[in-house]
Amino acid sequence: MITGFLLNGFDTRARVVFALLIAIAILVPAANLLLPPDHPLHVPTYMVTLMGKYFAYAMLALSVDLVWGYCGILSLGHGAFFALGGYAMGMYLMRQIGTRGVYADPILPDFMVFLNWKELPWFWYGFDQFWFAALMIVLVPGTLAFVFGWFAFRSRVTGVYLSIITQALTYALLLAFFRNDMGFGGNNGLTDFKDILGYNIQADGTRATLFALTVLAVAIAFALASAVTRSKLGKVLVGVRDAESRTRFLGYRVENYKLFVWTLSAVMAGIAGALYVPQIGIINPSEFDPANSIEAVIWVAVGGRGTLVGAIVGAITVNFGKTWFTGALPELWLFALGGLFIFVTLFLPKGIVGTVQAWWAGKRASAPAATLKPEPAE
Amino acid sequence: MLIAATPSQTAKRSSLVAKGLFGALALSMLSGTALAQEETIKVGVLHSLSGTMAISETTLKDTILYLIDEQNKKGGVLGKKLEAVVVDPASDWPLFAEKARELVEKEKVSVVFGCWTSVSRKSVLPVFKELNSILFYPVQYEGEESERNVFYTGAAPNQQAIPAVDYLAAEEGVERWVLAGTDYVYPRTTNKILEAYLKAKGVAAEDIMINYTPFGHSDWQSIVADIKKFGSAGKKTAVVSTINGDANVPFYKELGNQGIKAEDIPVVAFSVGEEELAGLDTGPLVGHLAAWNYFQSVDAPVNASFIEGWKAYTKNDKRVTNDPMEAHYIGFNMWVKAVEAAGTTDTDPVIDSLIGVSVPNLSGGYSAMMPNHHITKPVLIGEIQGDGQFEIVSQTPGLVVGDEWSDFLDGSKDLISDWRKPMNCGNFNVVTGKCGG
Amino acid sequence: MRFLSILIAALWLALSTAVSPAAAAVADEDLKRLVDALGVGGFSEAEAAINALVATGDDRVSAILDRFGEGDLYTRKADKSVFIAEKAGSDFKLLDPVTGAEAGVVSKGEIEKIKVNNRIRRAIAAAVGSLTLRSPDAAIRRSAAEAVMKSKDAAAIPALDAAIEAETDPAIKQIMVAARAAAVLESDLPEADKIAAVEMIGGLGTRDAMSMLAAYTAVEGPVGEAAASAARTIESSLLVWDAAQNVWYGLSLGSVLLLAAIGLAITFGVMGVINMAHGEMVMIGAYTTFAVQEIIRTSAPGLFDYSLLIALPLAFIVAGGIGILIERSVIRWLYGRPLETLLATWGVSLVLQQTVRSIFGAQNKEVGNPSWMSGSFTIGELSITWSRLWIIVFAMVVFAGLLAVLKRTYFGLQTRAVTQNRQMASAMGIRTPWVDAFTFGLGSGIAGIAGVALSQIDNVSPNLGQGYIIDSFMVVVFGGVGNLWGTFVGAMTLGVANKFLEPYAGAVLGKILLLVFIILFIQKRPRGLFALKGRAIEA
Repeated sequence: MITGFLLNGFDTRARVVFALLIAIAILVPAANLLLPPDHPLHVPTYMVTLMGKYFAYAMLALSVDLVWGYCGILSLGHGAFFALGGYAMGMYLMRQIGTRGVYADPILPDFMVFLNWKELPWFWYGFDQFWFAALMIVLVPGTLAFVFGWFAFRSRVTGVYLSIITQALTYALLLAFFRNDMGFGGNNGLTDFKDILGYNIQADGTRATLFALTVLAVAIAFALASAVTRSKLGKVLVGVRDAESRTRFLGYRVENYKLFVWTLSAVMAGIAGALYVPQIGIINPSEFDPANSIEAVIWVAVGGRGTLVGAIVGAITVNFGKTWFTGALPELWLFALGGLFIFVTLFLPKGIVGTVQAWWAGKRASAPAATLKPEPAE
Repeated sequence: MLIAATPSQTAKRSSLVAKGLFGALALSMLSGTALAQEETIKVGVLHSLSGTMAISETTLKDTILYLIDEQNKKGGVLGKKLEAVVVDPASDWPLFAEKARELVEKEKVSVVFGCWTSVSRKSVLPVFKELNSILFYPVQYEGEESERNVFYTGAAPNQQAIPAVDYLAAEEGVERWVLAGTDYVYPRTTNKILEAYLKAKGVAAEDIMINYTPFGHSDWQSIVADIKKFGSAGKKTAVVSTINGDANVPFYKELGNQGIKAEDIPVVAFSVGEEELAGLDTGPLVGHLAAWNYFQSVDAPVNASFIEGWKAYTKNDKRVTNDPMEAHYIGFNMWVKAVEAAGTTDTDPVIDSLIGVSVPNLSGGYSAMMPNHHITKPVLIGEIQGDGQFEIVSQTPGLVVGDEWSDFLDGSKDLISDWRKPMNCGNFNVVTGKCGG
Repeated sequence: MRFLSILIAALWLALSTAVSPAAAAVADEDLKRLVDALGVGGFSEAEAAINALVATGDDRVSAILDRFGEGDLYTRKADKSVFIAEKAGSDFKLLDPVTGAEAGVVSKGEIEKIKVNNRIRRAIAAAVGSLTLRSPDAAIRRSAAEAVMKSKDAAAIPALDAAIEAETDPAIKQIMVAARAAAVLESDLPEADKIAAVEMIGGLGTRDAMSMLAAYTAVEGPVGEAAASAARTIESSLLVWDAAQNVWYGLSLGSVLLLAAIGLAITFGVMGVINMAHGEMVMIGAYTTFAVQEIIRTSAPGLFDYSLLIALPLAFIVAGGIGILIERSVIRWLYGRPLETLLATWGVSLVLQQTVRSIFGAQNKEVGNPSWMSGSFTIGELSITWSRLWIIVFAMVVFAGLLAVLKRTYFGLQTRAVTQNRQMASAMGIRTPWVDAFTFGLGSGIAGIAGVALSQIDNVSPNLGQGYIIDSFMVVVFGGVGNLWGTFVGAMTLGVANKFLEPYAGAVLGKILLLVFIILFIQKRPRGLFALKGRAIEA
């Protein structure tokens, strides 16, 4: 039934995108692991990790697009869910270090040892088990989003007010995680990971697998989001986005629809964060920085809001740009990036994908008129 | 490359190479190793040029470019010119790791000079270990670390905090202490060490006040008032400040405005140097202190010529010098000397030959790289002057060896580090006799 | 040896002067020998030498010590003789500290500065204080009395007695009496005198008095008990003052928030632009102040006290001009798409930050406080710093002015018309594009003058704006978008609440609690404190 639901949501374009993602998930690791380093098609590990990061961001962007593009909820705090998922994963990886930490304490992570913690705080229990951590990766962001959304949507907090309180949420978490007394390593965060599920986290094979998993997760998230948005529920969501009051007057319980998609999106963001951390090797409170959440929104806008593909394209484009500019134009890259944002808003208001789509649709619409050839109905 | 290029040109050229390289990578996912190699030695510079840390780190990037320029004028290293590869990690910690990987794996640099905050160092650490490269870290930090691939040229807590407290207790008769810091690992650890140290010296718990503030804290009214209140208990009081960069300016402005004079409650800071004071009117702050291993006002010929060269290089007569710059000066020269001794830039021989290397520091003496990858330094205590400089009021008679594992922390008092063979271990436990905690 | 002989000389001099205090003059060469002792040994020796100098009672000593405190005394390396050195080009001109006679010009290498640290400065202040207690200048007498009070030197009691006798100014006399009481507590005088001193100090009721007493509360016997009970009395009266002080801190923080947010209340609140570049407008205002001060420093140092007044209109024009430029080039294409203004203005903010960084460098810039914004004064036990007071006043003036512009002027009328109903306003003949541009310019200009004020209390760096942008949005949204009074009340509420939370929860937790409070508050009032009503806002 679920497969049916998923397949139902697939149009041709979604199928192409999905297939493309699966192909990347298989081919890139293969090119990294199987081809010798001097082979022209060899992908260096450096690129694999970098692209793994881009795809983790792409999944975050997908989750933002789901709520913003289809439900009109502009979240300026999605980075919070991403970071919480990341912390859950980080705590698991931290517990895996065991006696290989610099102080060789079997239980306590290094940062607790030198700040004189005597025992493990209760919220660290269970994180030595992967299944528990995996559960938390879903549950913590999900619960937070559910509680937050439950109150906010019932109180009919909308528009900029909602945006700003999501920002307040992530800002409060930022400050909280910075506190060393919280027991999450403060500003230094969690780092120096060794193993994941018994595999060396720095090995090429682990990196390639993590990359494949990340792209796979993006593909699944994409499929799920497509299915949701093309279902009846998705139509209601678009209704909420375009005219919330009217939808409510038509008898829909708007807050329930919002709450569902909001929580789903937060869980997606959390999983993205969990996939991000082992590849980057560090999780620190700056992931909660409101600026990061705003950036995620910007990726979506650059790629094209409300297209899903656009979120992926935008996240990868902007981050690739960032990687390139910070290396190529270290003194001037902010001009380039800032300029890109202004350019996109002014000249590509629908984003990259939206613009291409419109252009494609326009071409298709004008083509028959120009040649006067009968086209078969789709 | 026969003509010695100016660093900016070199950096630009390297960035063009990077651009081409990356473009090729992006399009065809080719690796760029096949590109023509020039006869230069590449040096990576990993300092934030934008974002919150740009304030401090931009100067260090300029310092390395200056040092490379000077070295190239002397003919480079091993007969080859040095070439800087500058990237901008933008005060973004994951980006630090990414850029470190780019420098080592893609640009194939021989050594990297970089990082400021502890978290940025922690973020790049796994990269340097995995790819086996060398990082020189120039900033004072909390210690509790000794890695084979990292050389710490900044101060460990015993090279800054403890001599400062000793000075205040002996010279100013301080009996009551405010330990004020930004809430992150460096202040937390330093204050833990200081608290243990002070208690060991007989200071009562109620005579120590510890206060933490968030990053970039700008409203200091209540805290300064609290300090004033704490200081009015009839005992001589001093503030030991581990407040981080940005928050210092409003803190000192508030101190000045609330009329807390150095004669009444002196503040000794470990993160305030000439650069930070350049953004302040120091008139009301005369007499507040800082503890470093170098001050611009050090009266030594080597320092005078360094300052002169630096001002000429930056074409700015107002540019100041500071302690992390000296750390880079020492680190860079150590690296050059070690490379020349090893006859190669390969990581392993250079790491081995770095230990024991001794080069002139800017305070007129010599600094040596110890087996724990920390260096020996004199500790200077300076008082702020009206012109934004420090007057040195105390100097340790000898050199102090950086102590990576503090004796005042329970977890680390049994650990030592020695990267020479046969021990070759960064965290050897003298009680259990095992490497690894 | 040399040190010892000087001490003996000093003692002899002190003895001889004690016999005939009126003839306090000492032979030049004897005095010079004592001055030379300042340059021998470390800080402890220098302190002893200061005391020896003071013991002579010579009139010239306080002037010499003043120069010492300013760091003007140098030792000539050749003969260890001490001189006042004044910079003459790259060389130094030496003056005899006793006679003032010129003693030739030397290069920097030939002399060595005698180091001065806090301890020496304290000793000098106390020494000069006891010497100048009977100065004809009331201001000098006052600072002398204060210095003696701090030094708590029992040896100063006779001098104080004489000074109290002669003092005519009741305020200064009061300080001298307190100084004497402080000295008595340190002396060997009988217990009754000490208890009287405790009562005298306790009567002052100030924090300084409390601090003087605190050292004796642990002393055994009646003196300790008296001190403890006096300290308790003072402490309870200080509690009230502490609460008042917190309110003051809160208002001052609120004013800073108000200043930071008020420009945003126009660009975001009134115009609906999610203006992420707002913080950069504040930063530009601060940099304008820096530029103005820089020009004044080099070309007209006398005008420094007016630098802020000059900077205000300039900051308004510069920031406002850039605001108009941004509106005309970017934002005007985005009306009706408020969320996209977020993206574009974020880009603008990155560009502006980097521009400033490229022009001025990444380092902090020094913006000085003019004299009328430095220091503090007290009302009762309320300590009020001038900079904060002026910022509060300034915030109120800006707020009132803005309110007047929007409510009382023709331009304000047009602005309100356009923001309420663009088509209708246009149909009435209002040139809406120009109103948009000038409204945005007004908001940006206000942010610019806020930057002038904030440059007085915060870093002037390219990141200045980033520190305020989130708080500003919180304030505007908490108060209710589109309502200036909301912004006002919001800023003050958050400021005061923050300052009352801080002592209990600490700075970090206090801020977190405040953010949680805002989140909960918005649940209760989804449109902020002062919600706009009507159908227009639903759109």
